[in-house]
Amino acid sequence: MLHIENLHVSIGDKPILAGIDLDVKAGEVHAIMGPNGSGKSTLAQVLAGREGYVVTAGCVRYLDRDLLALAPEERARAGVFLAFQYPLEIPGVANVQLLRTALNSVRRSRNETELDAMDFLDTVKGKLELLGMDDSFLYRAVNEGFSGGEKKRNEILQMAVLEPRLAILDETDSGLDIDALKTVAHGVNALKHPGRAVILVTHYQRLLNYIVPDRVHVLAGGRIVRSGDASLALELEERGYGWLMPESSPQTEARP
Amino acid sequence: MTPTLYRQALEQTGGSPHLLAAREVALERFFSHGLPSPRDEDWKYTPLDFLERAELHAPHHTAEDWTSEDYPGIALKYGNGRLTDVYTQSIHAHSLADRADTALVVRYLGQLADTFPGNTALAEINSALWQDGLLLHVPAGWKSAPLFMVHRTSEADAMLHLRHLVVLEAGAEAVLVEQCLGAPGLAYWHNSVTEIVLGEGARLTHLKLDENSAAATHTGLTLVQQARDSRYRALSLNVGARVARHDTRVHLDEAGATCQLDGVFIATGRRHIDQHLHVDHRAPHTGSSQTWRGIADGRGRGIFDARVVVQPGARKADALQSSRNLLLSPHAEIDVKPQLEIYTDDVKCGHGATVGQLDPAEIFYLRSRGIDADTARALLLRGFVEQALGLLKDSGLADWLEPHLAAALPAPNKEHTA
Repeated sequence: MLHIENLHVSIGDKPILAGIDLDVKAGEVHAIMGPNGSGKSTLAQVLAGREGYVVTAGCVRYLDRDLLALAPEERARAGVFLAFQYPLEIPGVANVQLLRTALNSVRRSRNETELDAMDFLDTVKGKLELLGMDDSFLYRAVNEGFSGGEKKRNEILQMAVLEPRLAILDETDSGLDIDALKTVAHGVNALKHPGRAVILVTHYQRLLNYIVPDRVHVLAGGRIVRSGDASLALELEERGYGWLMPESSPQTEARP
Repeated sequence: MTPTLYRQALEQTGGSPHLLAAREVALERFFSHGLPSPRDEDWKYTPLDFLERAELHAPHHTAEDWTSEDYPGIALKYGNGRLTDVYTQSIHAHSLADRADTALVVRYLGQLADTFPGNTALAEINSALWQDGLLLHVPAGWKSAPLFMVHRTSEADAMLHLRHLVVLEAGAEAVLVEQCLGAPGLAYWHNSVTEIVLGEGARLTHLKLDENSAAATHTGLTLVQQARDSRYRALSLNVGARVARHDTRVHLDEAGATCQLDGVFIATGRRHIDQHLHVDHRAPHTGSSQTWRGIADGRGRGIFDARVVVQPGARKADALQSSRNLLLSPHAEIDVKPQLEIYTDDVKCGHGATVGQLDPAEIFYLRSRGIDADTARALLLRGFVEQALGLLKDSGLADWLEPHLAAALPAPNKEHTA
């Protein structure tokens, strides 16, 4: 489903990703772990199409398309979804408005009929239950005044409504207490599907107790320095990241 | 505008000998002051000297070309400054010209315009030359059905002086919607003065929609006097005219009086939209709030000048001011001037003002959900103005206003030639 080859990414002159290779197949759950500043979030943002990142080398194929050539909304319509580490607050725009506009944009691109307000409510109600959210969430402004846990649940609600093929969860576990973590994990697990792949970007192992990955990759200094199965995450929990760190980071290489 | 042109306009007005004498006095006062000059601090952003060079006249015809818009209430239609449908179904609303000689009008007309400080020459020329307007009088304890006062101008170079008087006696309630429209591209000057007197416990909801033509000049002065426990809630949507100046002055004269002056301005194309608010807390336990959202695009310019004065003795006053503004183009300009003047202790006052741009991170967030960039911007702009529309929630007017708002919001490839 997703094939990343030799991906190099910079912000300004500063290299962040220095040759990422990654293959994700439909139905798989991959965890990308690593210390702060290793490039995990950059990878997530680049896959979603955030501006300001320069791809200096490499390519990304998604469902046999050149992902990097697509605008952010085209990626979303093609089934890529990024759950933000810091979801944005959009005052004055009701959650229901965002969800319906988004879903209908995606449906239009697939030549499916748009849902009217009533049909949409029917669709969204079941998803709200899945995440333990009540109807009032729909009519609040997007993320405005939401607690950290509510924001993260709201990201997963958007994911549940849009039903992506490739879901990238960027530090969805950060800032969550254990109950909120379980709710979010339950939501993600309920959306697992043989045709859907999930990439979990996380600093800590604890989310992986609830969403068990097929593969774990450790990102350090802009490269994947180790890949393994779920047991690698446990090893990291015990030993930390230090033993995997490369001798030199791309930042030092870039200096004259 | 030479004195002769103003005199000719005066000859087309009417009224009792008493009213005619008052018109003469007002015209002489206007001549001695002249139009506001940019040297006047209050007018420095909005010079009206171009009116000096214009040759305008009192309208000759009554506009007939009416839009077929449905109004969810009683509609009073004014064409070129005159009430066109004299058989209105409202028992509380009348043509001011028809009622000019009644004891009520004689008692109240000019009372605020003549006594409020900071009175402008524009009020004087209005007192001299008004031809018609609205008298809304709701007796004690009555509730008026929603009233839509719609002004349409179809005559080029017309000078329209509209005068409105609203008197709500104790405990009376009313909803008044004012809409100003003009034939596309037509140049004219619409100058209105509205005097509003609210008795004890009276409640007025006042929606003002400026959709004047993109070549028009609109000057409007709204004066409000509030007795004990009265409530004035106003929402302005200023999206029309080439040059618009909207002044609102509220006197909270007695304890418990509150006012909410909210609004949105959208200055697209070359529009120049200036709003001045002035709230005077003159008694204890009075409250005021202002929530404004402004947008300027193209070469548009917006001015938000809001002054709240808490007089000595107005303890326990509560005043809140919020003004947020968006610049969508490098050639657009917004000037914000919030002022709080507090002359007593024991008050609760707060204000905040910002001028910024659409946040690219918010646009990306929406695009990452499959929403194209143009729709994302439109959603963000609609959400931005929504924050000033709280007053609509329980007014029953939100559905009516929505298409007007949608038409006014900047959108790619949309012409603003109304």
